[in-house]
Amino acid sequence: MILSPKDKITTPQAAVIVINFILGTGLLTLPRSSTEKVQTPDAWISVILGGVITITAGLIMVKLSQQFSEKTFYQYINDIVGKWVGGLLSLVVICYFLTTSSFQIRAMAEVIRYLLLEGTPTWAIIMIFMWVGLYLIIGGINPIARLFEIILPLTVILFLVVTFMSFKIFEIDNLRPVLGEGIVPVLKGVKTTALAFSGPEIMLLLIPFMNSPKKAGKALLVGVSIPLIFYVITVVMVIGALSIDGVVLRTWPTLDLIRSFEVAGLIFERFESLLLVVWIMQIFATFTITYFAAALGLAQLSKKSIHPFMFGLLPVLYIIAMVPKNMNDLFKVGDFVGNVAMFLFGLLPLLLLIISRIKGGKKHETIT
Amino acid sequence: MMMKEWLSKIGNKGKDPDKDKQAPASQDTTCPFTDNLHFNLECLKQEIGHNWDVHFREFNLGRTGIRSVIIFVDGLSDKDLIDKHIMPSLMVDFSAEYKQNLPYLKGSISKEFIKNEVLSISEIEAVRSIKELASKVLTGSTALLIDGSLDALLLGTAKHKTRAIEEPVSEALVRGPRVGFTESLSDNTSFLRCSGEIENLSLVKFQVGKRSKKDLVVAYIKDIVDPELVQEVENRIKKIDIDSVPESGYVEQLIEDNYLSPFPQVQNTERPDRVVAALMEGRVAILLDGTPFVLIVPVTLSMMLQSPEDYYERWIPGTFIRMLRYLAAILALFTPSLYIAFISFHSGLIPTKLAISIIGTRSGVPFPALIEALFMEIAIEILREAGLRLPKPIGPAMGIVGGLIIGEAAVQAGIVSPVLVIVVALTAISSFSIPHYSIGITLRMLRFPAMICAATFGLYGVILFFLLMTSHLVKLKSFGVPYLSPAVPYRLSEWKDLMVRMPLMMMKRRPKMLHTKNPIRKG
Amino acid sequence: MKQSHSNTHPLFISLSVLLFLSLTGCWSSHEIEEQSLGIGLAFDKAKQSSIEKKLNEQGGAYSKRNLITTTYQFITPQVASSTTKQSGPQQKSYVNVSETGDSMHQMVRELSLRSEQPVTAHHMKVVVIGENLARSYKLEQLLDQNLRESELRPSCLVLISKGRASNTLETKKAGEIPAFRLAGIVENAYRTTRILPPMSHIKVESKIKSGSSFLMQKVLSADGQVKFAGAAVIDGKTHKMTGTLNEEELEGVTWITGKGKGGVVKSFDKETGQPIVYEIETMKSSIIPHVKRDSISFDVNIESVGRLSENWVVSAGTFKNEFLKNAEKSSEEEVKRLVGNVLEKMQKEYKADVAGFGNRLRIEHPKVWNKVKKDWDQRFSEAPINYDVKLTINDYGTTGGSKK
Repeated sequence: MILSPKDKITTPQAAVIVINFILGTGLLTLPRSSTEKVQTPDAWISVILGGVITITAGLIMVKLSQQFSEKTFYQYINDIVGKWVGGLLSLVVICYFLTTSSFQIRAMAEVIRYLLLEGTPTWAIIMIFMWVGLYLIIGGINPIARLFEIILPLTVILFLVVTFMSFKIFEIDNLRPVLGEGIVPVLKGVKTTALAFSGPEIMLLLIPFMNSPKKAGKALLVGVSIPLIFYVITVVMVIGALSIDGVVLRTWPTLDLIRSFEVAGLIFERFESLLLVVWIMQIFATFTITYFAAALGLAQLSKKSIHPFMFGLLPVLYIIAMVPKNMNDLFKVGDFVGNVAMFLFGLLPLLLLIISRIKGGKKHETIT
Repeated sequence: MMMKEWLSKIGNKGKDPDKDKQAPASQDTTCPFTDNLHFNLECLKQEIGHNWDVHFREFNLGRTGIRSVIIFVDGLSDKDLIDKHIMPSLMVDFSAEYKQNLPYLKGSISKEFIKNEVLSISEIEAVRSIKELASKVLTGSTALLIDGSLDALLLGTAKHKTRAIEEPVSEALVRGPRVGFTESLSDNTSFLRCSGEIENLSLVKFQVGKRSKKDLVVAYIKDIVDPELVQEVENRIKKIDIDSVPESGYVEQLIEDNYLSPFPQVQNTERPDRVVAALMEGRVAILLDGTPFVLIVPVTLSMMLQSPEDYYERWIPGTFIRMLRYLAAILALFTPSLYIAFISFHSGLIPTKLAISIIGTRSGVPFPALIEALFMEIAIEILREAGLRLPKPIGPAMGIVGGLIIGEAAVQAGIVSPVLVIVVALTAISSFSIPHYSIGITLRMLRFPAMICAATFGLYGVILFFLLMTSHLVKLKSFGVPYLSPAVPYRLSEWKDLMVRMPLMMMKRRPKMLHTKNPIRKG
Repeated sequence: MKQSHSNTHPLFISLSVLLFLSLTGCWSSHEIEEQSLGIGLAFDKAKQSSIEKKLNEQGGAYSKRNLITTTYQFITPQVASSTTKQSGPQQKSYVNVSETGDSMHQMVRELSLRSEQPVTAHHMKVVVIGENLARSYKLEQLLDQNLRESELRPSCLVLISKGRASNTLETKKAGEIPAFRLAGIVENAYRTTRILPPMSHIKVESKIKSGSSFLMQKVLSADGQVKFAGAAVIDGKTHKMTGTLNEEELEGVTWITGKGKGGVVKSFDKETGQPIVYEIETMKSSIIPHVKRDSISFDVNIESVGRLSENWVVSAGTFKNEFLKNAEKSSEEEVKRLVGNVLEKMQKEYKADVAGFGNRLRIEHPKVWNKVKKDWDQRFSEAPINYDVKLTINDYGTTGGSKK
């Protein structure tokens, strides 16, 4: 795909894309998955550590991509490791994006079926969602960025309103003691929480679209910090209200937090509808950006127009989404995707950065 | 695309037979204007003489015995002017002043002579083609033909029937000028000129319409506007290829970016103050002859929800009213669909007490919420339309009576629930509070698909509808300006005039999205 | 800036077609008026109602053990419309139906065989469990279906009833809805110390999971009237009810936890024997665990600020600090009595920590807690507890009393 000069995004837009990518299923499951691992009320510390690790990994990715600020990952990886290995790695990354995308819509469909539309077939829920997503991404990166900019403030406002409503059942004792059993349990949870932050990898593709690629690092910092705040608030509020014993038992603890109180006198009284609005929009964001990333990858790999790939990937996404048979399978897929991500975006960029530095250094030497 | 081709096809179809017809006439006009009055007259009569309203008045010039004729269209030309100034000059004063020279005059009366010494009217020009003459006569000019002269003179006597300046009907304000555009292009341009001496106001004239040509003026302020924008507007106007342009709505539809979009991408207004404000921001206005509706491009969604009054009132009430309007827009779009979603799908998400009272009032209703809501919403839309068509004195009465009676009777009969009547009324009121008629219609129309989405997927459907609509909006552009700017992409400096209306003190710059040459509005 | 002619028509068309096709589905649409709102639920030991017996005689039975009788309280559309539309003398504004069986979910579904409007649990306000049942079944078994399904909100309250739970869902007052009455009384915690903080499903679940003993509000019923009285002690290991705290003991627990929002303390003047009533404005309690080697002890410091709200001692002048001091003293004595009383009962009779001592230990000494949490209730019953009460009267209302 040839990038038209107007198809550029601003630095805030890049940050917004990262934020919306990160916020997704994790918003509902992170309190459980982190508490399961940590087993003490300190899960929120692991969340912060996870965020910091993600920022580090993200910065490595940004550094790597900034060396080739005109190219996306799919294009420059060939320059670093050669055509074949590069192509293969690109394919793996594409598969990663596809699976993430599918995982998101399936998780969304499950929650919708559980809470809102009992009886509606999953295919109907997923299909309509995918069509809307397709309609958006056909417009390219710019409409995507703009849509994300619209749903971000909605998310922030609604989310904060909803979570702060739950102060009613918040008990600080549930969060104490802090570090009562030392730092070890906290470290156990870091891997899980870091995975909830998967999203900075979009920076590998985003930099050539940016107005000022030099500011990518800043965008990434903001892009990870805001979800970090969200996640910490979520984990603190959920554990504070439900206690760690209550959290590990619930499939979607954040939803249960909102369902665990009623505020009489306000028009709504029940606020899970607001949380679901936020959450569906966030899933939509994660879905569209990963979908776009996968289609972009295929287009750049084959050096053809992106539109046929967008249409072509639709059935593929659907099939992948329908593979998991039940919730446990689904969460396993989530874990698997997370593990792949850790390798792909935790270790690989560092490796690539080193290789490219060595190569670049040599070139530099030969020139001088 | 389809529509456009179709339109242009119509244009082409119209063209071909047209040419065939014109062939003999053009032959006539190629024969030069002779100095033989009789011959010229015959030619002209052939061309336009069959029209009953074309008058040929033959007379002698002064007392010279030189035959002359003036030709005018009854009703279009200013008879007063002809009777009081033209005819006396030619018949009476002419002879009185030039009596001594009379014998020498015959045969040498030049257009310069008439123009410079005889006729005391401002617009006068000479033409030499019968066809041009005919067409000008038909638009109100008076032709003066003199035996022995090679030129025909066209006297500007056109008098368009204009109405008095009135307050714009479609955009009433409590505070603000009570002036509205009229159907006369020259009046309208004069409004722009009159509203203070605008430096560098350019009014560029175009003609649109193949068969019925109409004047169109593109207005902008030269040292503010982005020249690329002007270029684009002019290009699009030049591309208009259509028989006739009865109203600026035609122009709007032919130059808009995406004709499939339900959202208006060009703003129309009857208010000169609005146009001037837009020009000052660096936008372009398009005025068409024969309509009081002036187009403004480019526009954004937020503009559509704003009213000039926001700026005339102080900023705190201005902000409050503006927020209210945003709320109204959201309500107009989503209330019925949320009603359906909660009633038919998520009875668990409404407060218990409310649920019980809704159940109580709905227990006799035989229809599902969708049918019920569609029924009432369509009824109210018909009522609105009917109220519009009816003569003014009975229109509002009929609206109120119809609304009350239908609502009351429907509840009494147990066809709809009282809660729905509240919802429908709320929707209707909200949609009427939107200052811009076209966007109001858009929102009212869009609530029907929203209702269908809600009836299929409940709240999820409503969210998806919102996402779909927003996806569309973020793609939409109006003359290169993103439709949702300045909301997105984020331009914090311009949010001062988006949801809120900050004090004028703080709004120092023109909107950045318009790429104006001169960004400073206020020192 | 070109006029765009995007190639999205097919997308638009297929989208609308898809939408219209799915409209024919309307899979999950259940109009609100086609459902009965379930608002209350009572679990009792099996005792078939007369209607059930008659139905069973005609063959309306399925294979089940008759272990539990659940009573559903719901509002049918008919009832709702009669209460919202008619004014004046009202009929009963709720419907109670009982089912007997051994599976909660199956019993609900049996109801669908008996009414055209199925019961939904979205608006369930309160679940009452009969004492007999609570003593013989684990709570998590009784509540499992409620916690698992998506309809019932985790905010739904759980209460224990002294007699049959279904009786608490009866009323004789026209227009009153018993389930709302129960849920409403819980909100009165700001007026009395004898109401436990609301125990919702989600809290019950986390308490069960944490393995500590806890209290649940008890409710009495007589003749269509109810009263919140005391609390049921749920054992942390068996998750069954093991005993009861009466109203005063519950008051003692509230003082220990310091979670009361308001209420009164009645004590008697030493000299005249007349009652003096102290009204709580704020209440604060801190439980401080002390660990010395293997021995664990607790200090409880209770502080409260309030006003003198009723005074029968005619001779005393409330303008005098002396009298206020005396009043404080006697109220403190009373609180001490309440606290001592309940501590005795918790440690000696039930051997269960229901006042959150373990929780404090967990927070202050997490390592010690990990060691002792297995048999905490036993260790708790042996732990020495010191308590101190300090009340301050800062206000005596608008009457100064006599100045003689």
